[in-house]
Amino acid sequence: MATFLPDPGSGHETTRLRRRTLLKVLSLAGGAAALSALLEACGGAATATTAPAATTASKTTAASTSAAGGAASTTASSTAASSSAASTSKASTTSAASSAASSGSATSSAASSSASAAGSPPAASGGPVKISFYSGGDVNVQDLWQNSLLPAYKKVAPNVSFDFVFSEHGTGDQGTFDRIAAAKQAGKPSGIDIWETGSLLSQGGAAGLIEKVTASNISNLSKCPQNMIDQINGYGVPYRGSSVILGYNSKMVSDPPKTLDALLAWIKKNPGQFTYCPPDTGGSGGAFVTRVLETGIADADLKFFQTDYDQAKESQWDKGWATLKDLNGSIYNNGFYPKGNVPVLQTMGKGSISVAPLWSDQALSYLQQNLLPPEVKLLQIDPPFYGGASWVGVLNDSQNKAAAYAFLNWLLTPDAQNVVIQKLNGYPGIDWKYMPDDVQKKYADIAKSYSIGFSSKFGNDLNKLWYEKVAGTPAPSKP
Amino acid sequence: MVRESSGHARAVEAVKPALTSYKPARWREPALGLLLASPPVVVVLLLIALPAVQAALFSLGQVPQDNAAYSTGMHLVSSPTLTLAVYRDLLSSPFFRADIKLTAVVTVWSVVLTLLIGYVLSLYVRFASGRLPTAVRSLYLLPMFVPVVIASYALITFYVDRGQLQALLHAAGLGYKPVIYRATGIIIGQVWANIPFAVLMLGSGLDGIPQELVEAAQDVGASPWRILWRIVVPLNIVPALIVLTFTFIGVVGSFTIPFLLGPNAPQMLGVAMNAYFTSYQQPQAAAAMAVMAFLACAVAGGLYVWGTSRTGRTV
Repeated sequence: MATFLPDPGSGHETTRLRRRTLLKVLSLAGGAAALSALLEACGGAATATTAPAATTASKTTAASTSAAGGAASTTASSTAASSSAASTSKASTTSAASSAASSGSATSSAASSSASAAGSPPAASGGPVKISFYSGGDVNVQDLWQNSLLPAYKKVAPNVSFDFVFSEHGTGDQGTFDRIAAAKQAGKPSGIDIWETGSLLSQGGAAGLIEKVTASNISNLSKCPQNMIDQINGYGVPYRGSSVILGYNSKMVSDPPKTLDALLAWIKKNPGQFTYCPPDTGGSGGAFVTRVLETGIADADLKFFQTDYDQAKESQWDKGWATLKDLNGSIYNNGFYPKGNVPVLQTMGKGSISVAPLWSDQALSYLQQNLLPPEVKLLQIDPPFYGGASWVGVLNDSQNKAAAYAFLNWLLTPDAQNVVIQKLNGYPGIDWKYMPDDVQKKYADIAKSYSIGFSSKFGNDLNKLWYEKVAGTPAPSKP
Repeated sequence: MVRESSGHARAVEAVKPALTSYKPARWREPALGLLLASPPVVVVLLLIALPAVQAALFSLGQVPQDNAAYSTGMHLVSSPTLTLAVYRDLLSSPFFRADIKLTAVVTVWSVVLTLLIGYVLSLYVRFASGRLPTAVRSLYLLPMFVPVVIASYALITFYVDRGQLQALLHAAGLGYKPVIYRATGIIIGQVWANIPFAVLMLGSGLDGIPQELVEAAQDVGASPWRILWRIVVPLNIVPALIVLTFTFIGVVGSFTIPFLLGPNAPQMLGVAMNAYFTSYQQPQAAAAMAVMAFLACAVAGGLYVWGTSRTGRTV
């Protein structure tokens, strides 16, 4: 365009200069844009995408998230810097503001919470407290908090309000973790008080980011099965649970297997009629794998597998791996394992398979919504599959610890627990025996004990080994 | 975008003689230019280059204690000096080698098929006339507007056992073996997703080939094949190169399609990377894979830069 400009004599040089600069700038910017696009394309490879997590972790209850055999919590993996930048702080300002106000009331509510033994939360005196609560899971978990539990708590403790931040399917959990870690490193409050997530709690506990919960802080914690607390190394309150059970289509299977041995024999006898999800994509598959692996574990070591970690002990899994590898040919679609709890349910729903391990709560919800045919029945085998809890942890740097403890203590009261059972078809976090009689009776079918999965570190190795020893190509002898 | 960059190359050519004759007596305006260009550069440096360097060092045994996501990982190799132990361990695993092999096979097939189908489509749209090419012109763009997750699920419901294809074949009395949940499924998905870009690129290249050249060749009796090989393909080599590199980069690092349409094992690099990072809690191995994927992409990126910088000379 500049060519059409009249040449203004003395200004000639300047015009040319401007043109040149403009072109230079444009070309530089163009180059930078191309470069950034290119790097992004490559970076896309490096930072795993977040989007698919939503499809993977389609788990109705994050209950399964477990540490135990790695249920569903698919966290978005991203590099530290990018994710902490992405999860720009939403809560930091609020908590900083409320921290000053709450510190006064905190001490008094702590005192009163220890006084009220049965867990009726303290009608906290003092000014308003705002608890910053990060949570994650499927939409029904979000619904449980936002429309049931948090409003219910508002009636009990009107001065407490929540800044509720929800990450669907826990896709933002890794980012939250990075952010908390970064805050600690910078010596600043993370602005998060309590956090519902899976194994990241124990990971954070090990890194000094998460506080251990004890019955002296949260008196109702004594009502929770101890192994549920141990499973997360004490870094969270197990407020709800769920168990894996066996689903079968009674039209196709008249005499369902009721023990593990009978189930394994049944699978071999009916090729193509059974499947489970890879253990890292869903707890229902993880429970089946764990149950089979336990056949090779010495009784004395079982507790160790549930709470501790030693890679050397994994040789005890070999018997189980051999069993699972042997089943491979009898699995649906020549050995295809649908990736997730929900895909297994869907495979069952369309009639491709007739038996599968399922999460009790998901199966019940699917039956209610007619997503599974009514012929599908549920039973618990003997010995039982594992169940898992969902935990809420308290952050080490929380400025509202007393209020958080009071809230978590309330969460473990029968009233609050009843809401959990009703809304999610789940198990209570506290032992069934603390629930009212009528509730116990109503859920007698599923109100049974379940086993506990492996510790999260064993679970991580289990995930990897499953791919190598069961789904993978036949392994050449390894040193 | 690619057009812009070839435009950029042209701009550089245009400025070059001016630059050589011009001695920068004043620093202000170049500095202003740098300043204007700096925001994207800074963003790239801070959010991509810096973490990438840290991840690369991590994969070489330098565990940053201040990064909890890294330092709490399992089976870490920590060494005071740089070490290739992580890479050695990974590459000695037959399972990981199977992952690499699958990635290579899928990538090569996807790139070749995308290029081939893209070429046929764009040639058809460029040289055929009538109503059908117009319809094709809008049809091939379709995948661009369908999110890849949705497309993947559509492919699943179509190709899965007891899916639509099987129902159709069954009605025709034919048997069917599902093609998804194996490498074939990933390739189908990748080709589907990459076709629009390929046809757009190749098509715009073909549009730039002067009709007179083609007609002149026809006049002297060149066969259509000869015209294709001696005129169309050579003149359209840069767009083809761009399609090649971009499809390559996209497929190597892809996650969604191989995750949804691929087998349980082996896995493509993107899926394996995610599994190592989240399911196995082995961020170091994941970082090593990322470095490998990055190197592969860098080679393709180099090809791209080489290809586009040629544009300035040949056009």
